[in-house]
Amino acid sequence: MTDADKYWNPILETLPQEKLKELQLRKFKRIFEWAYHNSPFYNGLYRDAGIEPGDIKMFDDIRKVPKTDKAMMRAIQGKEPYPYGSILAVPLEQVTEYRQTSGTTGQPVYHPETWQDWEWSAESWAYILYAHGFRDTDRLFIPFGYSIYIAFWAAHYAAEKVGCEVVPGGVLDTEARLLKMRELKATGLAATPTYVLGMADAARNRLGIDPAKELDVRKITVAGEPGGSIPATRKRMEEAWGAKVYDHAGATEIGHWGYECQAQCGLHINEALHLIEIEDIETGETINEPGRRGSMVVTTFDRLAHPCIRFDSKDVIEWSPVEKCECGRTFRLLRGGVTGRADDITKVKGVLLAPAAIEEVVRAMPQLGDEYEVVVTKRGDIDSIALKVELLPESGTEIDVLKEDLARELRAKTNLRYDLEFCQYGTLPRYETKARRFKDLREKE
Amino acid sequence: MADKSGNIEEMAQRISSIKQQANELKAMSGGIQAVDRNVDRILASVKMLEINISDLVGLVKDSK
Repeated sequence: MTDADKYWNPILETLPQEKLKELQLRKFKRIFEWAYHNSPFYNGLYRDAGIEPGDIKMFDDIRKVPKTDKAMMRAIQGKEPYPYGSILAVPLEQVTEYRQTSGTTGQPVYHPETWQDWEWSAESWAYILYAHGFRDTDRLFIPFGYSIYIAFWAAHYAAEKVGCEVVPGGVLDTEARLLKMRELKATGLAATPTYVLGMADAARNRLGIDPAKELDVRKITVAGEPGGSIPATRKRMEEAWGAKVYDHAGATEIGHWGYECQAQCGLHINEALHLIEIEDIETGETINEPGRRGSMVVTTFDRLAHPCIRFDSKDVIEWSPVEKCECGRTFRLLRGGVTGRADDITKVKGVLLAPAAIEEVVRAMPQLGDEYEVVVTKRGDIDSIALKVELLPESGTEIDVLKEDLARELRAKTNLRYDLEFCQYGTLPRYETKARRFKDLREKE
Repeated sequence: MADKSGNIEEMAQRISSIKQQANELKAMSGGIQAVDRNVDRILASVKMLEINISDLVGLVKDSK
């Protein structure tokens, strides 16, 4: 296999780290200067901070640049130039696409794209699909409600760019999608982990189809939730479909910044298109060493209409101890992908809890279904966590034994005790896109 | 890497030439939308070539 067969861009993806850093500094200066001169929002932010383009001379100077966050974006939008407000860095007539965030954490953020920015989105996704093994011999089925949410739109255009034959699953319902996939012998699928599992469940229980044996899907690209990098969830998806599952990460405001390769030892950051910094969630201190989780601060270098510079995404990530990936890419690796959001990591009974840890335990137990629900409440002064799970009909295990096992595993993994409830299979909510399985009902102090 | 750097410079020159020709085409269109809008699409693709290749000029050469 030549380098051109292996990488979307063999030069950039194998560039030595010191050269990548040099490239990143050049590109940071370029986007900073662009935003300073073209976006009134950024111009005001930087003038208030007393920083201008000439001040960025070395890599460490980047830390002097003020961070941005979603709350700022929400405050800007809805004003002129309508609806994007003063962040817009191109004339409004150059905007050719409207998208918005899913609004999982509050009011959706509006996102403008010029044709060039849209082309860039497809380009960044092309790195992902190529690393996941998609080629012009693939027929990729995208079971996504093409709409105002960016989700898999760019995957569609990237797949065309890579040369795949794309089947837009659009407004079809789950059963019709499955039947179409079988009819067309689709070889690939791109969806959220929740929906990948949900489709497999629907295939088995509503259509009597075993996806692993009766469908031709052998590669699945997932995104939107941590599941793709949670070993127990990945295992369930791979077994259900008889396919390899590859994770990637991205967001509307940021673009698609990370992807797994064939070696699957973490998420590679696309360092040619993005600069990722990790900061301690409580102190804001920069984390450069592996093994410490922190919040992601990201800069996107080449997207111009709505620049994303030192954006505090609140995604929780950590550097991988693996310094050299066997795939040959020099892009740095994250361990375990995006493990959650800083917003979701909450203190319960004084212990930091990441919902992804609960998922890892639940989905590692073969007697339990894919769905679960976590509800945190407060009784008097004491926090309480209720976990609802579904018992598979054919599990054949005594509930008391299972309850004991589950409680022990949860305690080992999260250091907390739970009120466990076993529900009848099929009674917990099912989700087609991003799932909302974690509910914190305590009053905010 | 030496071969790659040689290719990068040559490819970057070609990319620059395509960009120049596309801009010249737009300048001579007299505002024909069927030309201008398609040139804009060509230029967006040219930008992707710049990101993938032209931005590396000087960087890869330095590592020879």
